[in-house]
Amino acid sequence: MLHYSRFVNVHELIMTTTVRAKELISDLQDFYSLSFRGLLGAVRRPFYLRDTIEQMDYAGPGSLAIILLVSLFIGMALSLQLSAELSRVGLKMYTGKVVGTSIIREIGPVLTALVFAGRVGSGIASELGSMILGHQVDTLRTFGVDPVRKLVTPRILGAVVMLPALTVLGDAVSLLGAYFMAVVVGRQSGAFYWSSTLETLNFENVFAGTIKPFIFGYIIACICCYMGLSTKGGAIGLRKTTTKAVVLSFIMIIVCDFALTRILLIVFGYNP
Amino acid sequence: MIVFDEVTFSYGSRTVLKNISFSIEASEKVAILGGSGEGKTTVLKLVLGLLRPDSGKVLIEGEDITEKGEDELREFRIKFSIVFQEGALFDSLSVKENVAFGLREYTRMSEQEIDEKVRALLQRVGMEDSLDLMPEELSGGMQRRVAVMRSLAAFEPEMFLYDEPTGGLDPVNADIVYNLIAELSGEGRGFVMVTHEVLSATRASERFLFLQEGRLIFDGNKEKLFDLDVPEVQLSVGQWKECLGL
Repeated sequence: MLHYSRFVNVHELIMTTTVRAKELISDLQDFYSLSFRGLLGAVRRPFYLRDTIEQMDYAGPGSLAIILLVSLFIGMALSLQLSAELSRVGLKMYTGKVVGTSIIREIGPVLTALVFAGRVGSGIASELGSMILGHQVDTLRTFGVDPVRKLVTPRILGAVVMLPALTVLGDAVSLLGAYFMAVVVGRQSGAFYWSSTLETLNFENVFAGTIKPFIFGYIIACICCYMGLSTKGGAIGLRKTTTKAVVLSFIMIIVCDFALTRILLIVFGYNP
Repeated sequence: MIVFDEVTFSYGSRTVLKNISFSIEASEKVAILGGSGEGKTTVLKLVLGLLRPDSGKVLIEGEDITEKGEDELREFRIKFSIVFQEGALFDSLSVKENVAFGLREYTRMSEQEIDEKVRALLQRVGMEDSLDLMPEELSGGMQRRVAVMRSLAAFEPEMFLYDEPTGGLDPVNADIVYNLIAELSGEGRGFVMVTHEVLSATRASERFLFLQEGRLIFDGNKEKLFDLDVPEVQLSVGQWKECLGL
């Protein structure tokens, strides 16, 4: 009897795992299809210019204030912390260089993407989810309008264009914040600090720092659109998909940042 | 016009329609009745090809639409005008933009022509003063009237599909919506209405289908419907008799 019950449990476990695996594969297939079709919509008619501009406006100017604010304080905090640590080992004069490299290559793109996912990504997921629940997406389809081209492509374009722009502005404000803390508060030499910061604005760092936001923007828009369009089950379902969209975006930003950093270091000839 | 041939449909492991078969002519006035979650809205979505059945065929004017792609389905979808529950107006667009949606997508009308057509359609339902209002500023009844006019703006549908057309409406607004349904079906075009409100359905419909536990348990006229021994119908008949003092 005991053996039989164990057999049944193992059988159930295998069946459940198989069903879950199939669902996961099917979800991934749908996600890749949506991501690809969403991108393809940018180069195929019909073009929804008005929707794209609306999305850019929502994603870009709408997020600017919060991104600048967060970037400013992160730059100031980083400058304070690093100048304290570096002065302990007599390397305080390198604060500008270390802060600059950190902000341009890593902290700027990742931080901006995280804030963007929190603000714009959650908005995309909840808006599309609410359109699904209110049958607005079905209505679009009955009008013969492809929801991917009308809803997903403008959001992808909005994110891919605006996130890099926001990152550059965020980086600039971060560097200014760091300069203020180091020079005005920390009494370092302004000219030296600034010249060491400018040294970090070389092709390698700027390329690494600006390629990432394009990829992060695409990932955020695809994940949030997919999650929003998969919404089921009323208000609770909407809450779940919005949360999932933001959490998954956060995870993918961090994972992709690691992968991109590794790839870019190899590309630029640093292979530890 | 619409033929369901042994259609089965499931949401995950829950089968909502089990081997359903029926046919509806374009001029018929049909109500699909049943309790909540019995697959009534699913039937409408299958008619439009918004969902694909697990098995069986859905034929529109003799053509099986179950294997057709989105682009091919468009020519079938424009034969119908659907009004989803609560109207499903695009909440980022004003009343005018909602009604003009199909016109902008599918016609090359000038702004002035669009404006004139939208005003004429809204005048028909007494809403010409609501052009610039947003959907959230409208009552439930107004939203449904706008939705009906939106579906009429760009195409000439052969049949109307209504999903719970008066669900959640007060009696006055429900009456306005029913009058609109009657007016539009008076133009020789039939409709399929899905609702759980048995008595309301009998105001405009002539044929009734009843779904229960995924099966079609009734297909007939009003008199036969009132003899149907299911709680949804008998409760409604009881309320009706009570109102009349019978």
